[in-house]
Amino acid sequence: MKVEKIKQNAFVKKVGFNRIVLIFVLLLMYLAFGVLTGGSFFGFSRISNTLNYVYFLGFLSLGVTFVIATGGIDFSIGPVMFCCSLVSGYCLTTYGVPMAISLVMSILIGVLFGFFNGYLVAYWKVPPFIVSMASMNIAKGIAAVFTKTQSVSWPQSTTADGWYRNFVSMNGIPIGLFIFLAVSVVCAVVLNKTKWGRYILCLGSNEEAVRLSGVNVKRWKMLAYIICGTLVGIASIFFVAAYTTVQPGYGDQYNNEAIAGCVMGGTSMAGGLASISGTVIGVIIISLLQQGILALGFTKEYQYIITGLIVIAAVYSDVSARRRKN
Amino acid sequence: MANKKAFGKLKGREAMVLGIVIAMVVLFSILSPTFRSYPTFVSVLDNSYYITLMALGVTFPLITGGVDLSIGTGLVSYALIGGYLVVHKGVPIGVGILVCILVGLLIGVFNGVLVAVMDLPPFLATLCTCMITRGLGPALCSSMGVSWPSALSEQGAFRKIFKFTSASGTVIPIGIVFMIVLVVIMSFVLDHTRVGRYILAIGSNKEATRLAGVNVKFYHMMAYMISGLFAGMAGVAYAATYATIYPGSGAGFELDAIGGAIVGGVSASGGVGTILGTFLGVFVICLMKVGLPFIGLQANWQQIFTGIVLIAAVLVDVVKKKK
Amino acid sequence: MGDIILTMKGIDKSFPGVHALDHVDLEVRKGEVLALMGENGAGKSTLMKVLTGIYKKDSGTITYEGKEVEFKNTREAQDAGIVIVHQELNMLGHLTVAQNLFIGREFKKGIRIDDRKMNEEAQKLFERLNVNIDPRETMSNLTVGKQQMCEIAKAVSFDAKVIIFDEPSAALTESEIEEMFKIIRDLKKKDIAMVYISHRMDEIKVITDRVTVMRDGTYVGTLITEKCTKEDIINMMVGRVIYEDPKTESAVPKDAPVVLKVEHLNAGRMVQDVSFELHKGEILGFSGLMGAGRTETARALFGADPKESGDIYINGNKVTINNPQDAVNCGIGYLSEDRKRYGIVVQKTVAENTTMASMNDFMNGIFINKNKEKEVADKYVEALATKTPDVDQLVVNLSGGNQQKVVIAKWLTRNSDILIFDEPTRGIDVGAKNEIYKLMNRLVAEGKSIIMISSEMTEILRMSDRIVVMCEGKKTGELDISEAKQETIMNLATREIE
Repeated sequence: MKVEKIKQNAFVKKVGFNRIVLIFVLLLMYLAFGVLTGGSFFGFSRISNTLNYVYFLGFLSLGVTFVIATGGIDFSIGPVMFCCSLVSGYCLTTYGVPMAISLVMSILIGVLFGFFNGYLVAYWKVPPFIVSMASMNIAKGIAAVFTKTQSVSWPQSTTADGWYRNFVSMNGIPIGLFIFLAVSVVCAVVLNKTKWGRYILCLGSNEEAVRLSGVNVKRWKMLAYIICGTLVGIASIFFVAAYTTVQPGYGDQYNNEAIAGCVMGGTSMAGGLASISGTVIGVIIISLLQQGILALGFTKEYQYIITGLIVIAAVYSDVSARRRKN
Repeated sequence: MANKKAFGKLKGREAMVLGIVIAMVVLFSILSPTFRSYPTFVSVLDNSYYITLMALGVTFPLITGGVDLSIGTGLVSYALIGGYLVVHKGVPIGVGILVCILVGLLIGVFNGVLVAVMDLPPFLATLCTCMITRGLGPALCSSMGVSWPSALSEQGAFRKIFKFTSASGTVIPIGIVFMIVLVVIMSFVLDHTRVGRYILAIGSNKEATRLAGVNVKFYHMMAYMISGLFAGMAGVAYAATYATIYPGSGAGFELDAIGGAIVGGVSASGGVGTILGTFLGVFVICLMKVGLPFIGLQANWQQIFTGIVLIAAVLVDVVKKKK
Repeated sequence: MGDIILTMKGIDKSFPGVHALDHVDLEVRKGEVLALMGENGAGKSTLMKVLTGIYKKDSGTITYEGKEVEFKNTREAQDAGIVIVHQELNMLGHLTVAQNLFIGREFKKGIRIDDRKMNEEAQKLFERLNVNIDPRETMSNLTVGKQQMCEIAKAVSFDAKVIIFDEPSAALTESEIEEMFKIIRDLKKKDIAMVYISHRMDEIKVITDRVTVMRDGTYVGTLITEKCTKEDIINMMVGRVIYEDPKTESAVPKDAPVVLKVEHLNAGRMVQDVSFELHKGEILGFSGLMGAGRTETARALFGADPKESGDIYINGNKVTINNPQDAVNCGIGYLSEDRKRYGIVVQKTVAENTTMASMNDFMNGIFINKNKEKEVADKYVEALATKTPDVDQLVVNLSGGNQQKVVIAKWLTRNSDILIFDEPTRGIDVGAKNEIYKLMNRLVAEGKSIIMISSEMTEILRMSDRIVVMCEGKKTGELDISEAKQETIMNLATREIE
């Protein structure tokens, strides 16, 4: 068949057939939105809006990729991200904690949540979805209690502390994109070139076989959640750098979008199979989609619905592909 | 003899939860004089109805070893749709209520298909439906809040199902009676009908149930339909209790219900659970919700505690299994 | 003895690469207990699965109650009155006994399930069978023995005319077996025919009327239990000619140092007070029938499952092994009988699997040294003659024999001196088998020591220098290869008639 022939092509093999399809989808979508909006979608503001979305969602998605690679799940990432920026932001604005320390705090809170989730899943064998639900609640609760249910606004770029916004863009240069790509490369290296990634992927595929090879599987499983937490912390910085204000009680929707990016990119829900480059493309597709829906004049509600349907489709294709294999 | 033991064991968990509920009431009453007043009692009940309904429903998917995360955003969305029809389209209130419940049932069917027929992981499938329902309500009926008719208006009579105000002004939380009736009915369904029996069996050992010739897919789906149906009813209860339904709210409601069920003895790995346990478990959550502000803690502490309680309840399971 | 109720004639069944049943005959009469015996893999279970419609036969006829039948599934067989009592119990642990008995066919009163009637019926059934079980008890609270009784009761409640017991006593205690026998005798009086698959000689003698013996997928013969001895049956079970030359004497010098000493190892019912020594350069065979506790012993030794007590010495030094990490650090490698679940990560490459246990030797700072990894993997592919296009091939694409070689490579890379081969050639075709054997011989010649668990008598006799025989969690004997015969081993592996 023709498709088979294309799949055999050396270049296609190297880049990966699925990734090429994804890139095609991405380009088609971009063009389609452009045409449908009469060209306004190609404008600078849309691009920068999309990029702003890509940053924080990208970090979330990269993080959850590690967790899904172990065969687990974490859908507390959205609220945890909000918790990070709310708590550290409140310290910054109310207690006068220096900016740099607030940023570090953001990441540390993420790491702590990652540790908490990972410990419960790996060492105490609590089902990941229960842990996710619990820490989602705890994150929301802590954020609300800490800020007394007030929203927190991080400093504007014109203020002295506004330098952190340069992470997103400096004089119109999309620094954020470079950082995001750099972190993605680091993630890809960790996943594919280091012992950490090797063990995370292998235990996601067959935990018992790895354990019987004399590997401390619990530790590596927990590590995946900690990596995820760290990236969630980073995501929180990019969120506030792009959107300034955070409100307690929200953040759920980003769970789904982050998982969507990850699953679309070819990471298998069953674990053991993950692709960072896939996640990156997947996240860009999701972000474009969110912006495109808005650009076409639909409300954010349609974003929720469409993302939900996309995840169902992506997961179903993953499930049925696995069933075919067996 | 053995029967007594089995009975005693179930009773044990329920008695324990009941004990916790009573202890909480006592604690709050001692710490706060205002807590031990009739209005507070009514307010606890008011807050409990929609959570109770969700919890009764979600007990079934939980017993199969799955979960339904779509009930929280779901109920808000159903209430929005129903209310929109009543307020803006002039539909009779009865029809509005019916629509609210039916849409819930429909989403339940959808979840059932995803999980039982298409074999998707339940938490992921229902997480998606959670997002979908979150968008569905506002998308269908404008993104504005909807206020169902107030208790004073003629159409607002449905609110009296839950809270009856007599001519002299005394408030009677009549809703609790309905809850108890539903608890009895659903206990019957779970313990004495095929639906309940096979849902328990699926949660215990799906493969063995299939080998016994049971139509596993159908009954697995039923669990999600029941959950959807009750989410619909929870939508009505929510609309009756609160003045206005805001689109976009509802995320996190499911946690209260699932937390209640698991505290009440439903096992996160399936196969075990009672309706009475769930019912009592819900009050642990509701008391935290209403009671904490009385002792000077923000209501949001409840969220943190719910999370911790959820993990603790599951850990009890895990530790027990290890033995 | 009653009339013939069931006849299987010329049953033939092949799986890819295996001729599982070769024109097997079987005849069961009303009111008798027919023992079906044979070594592991003789085809007993396959024959029963053909009978109850789990497998489709290639040829042959099944006549049941005078009519030729072919069941499509267990349900059809059940409805016709042929029921299997499985070794692994298909139960719903959270439900009550009565609920389990009648699952899928509950009594109803309107929409209500009539639990009272179900309890009563179950009670009646138990009374009929003379067992004391409360139908309202939760299933998981019963002992394994009682659960087994429930399975039997369930079979009876289907109005079964033929009941097949697949190693029913494997998990039962003495008194529970006694109780089960009482039931079987009762059923006999009710003219029910029973097929009893078991390895236990004493039980066969006590409870069965005739013994049909199978060997390597063929029918060997049928004896009247009363008139035969244990030796007669064993001779029929093992009476094959061993083509490959068995080892006649140990290749290990008498004074070879002891590399591993296990003393009084205990881990549950399946490992009771097991002690043995392993010498340098030796292949120590572990023989026994299915469920003798050999794998459990290996897993406890390796730290894969918790053990209750026992001392382990490596090269004379006492070591603590609490988990596989400890074992691997002590230089032990375990090659599981179930490679796909416990041996390899099938969705990963040959190279990745090769270095799985020794990642630390392949690090270049924080990075994995993929060149070195490939080099080593290549080396072992060549040394072990693993058939794979390259080391980047996913292991799932390799054949069973080559997958086994990848596991061997994993432990060689780790430099493990003691290798535990659990059923090293299960699911591997004949050609590849010989290669694995050669490889094992080469490994011991190079100074490694091997514990080989095997259910194949030929394999044991061909490879081992010494043989440990286990039966029901206990070590029942230890033989030097020079004194080992099939009959002696089988004698030790089956329980003595008391």
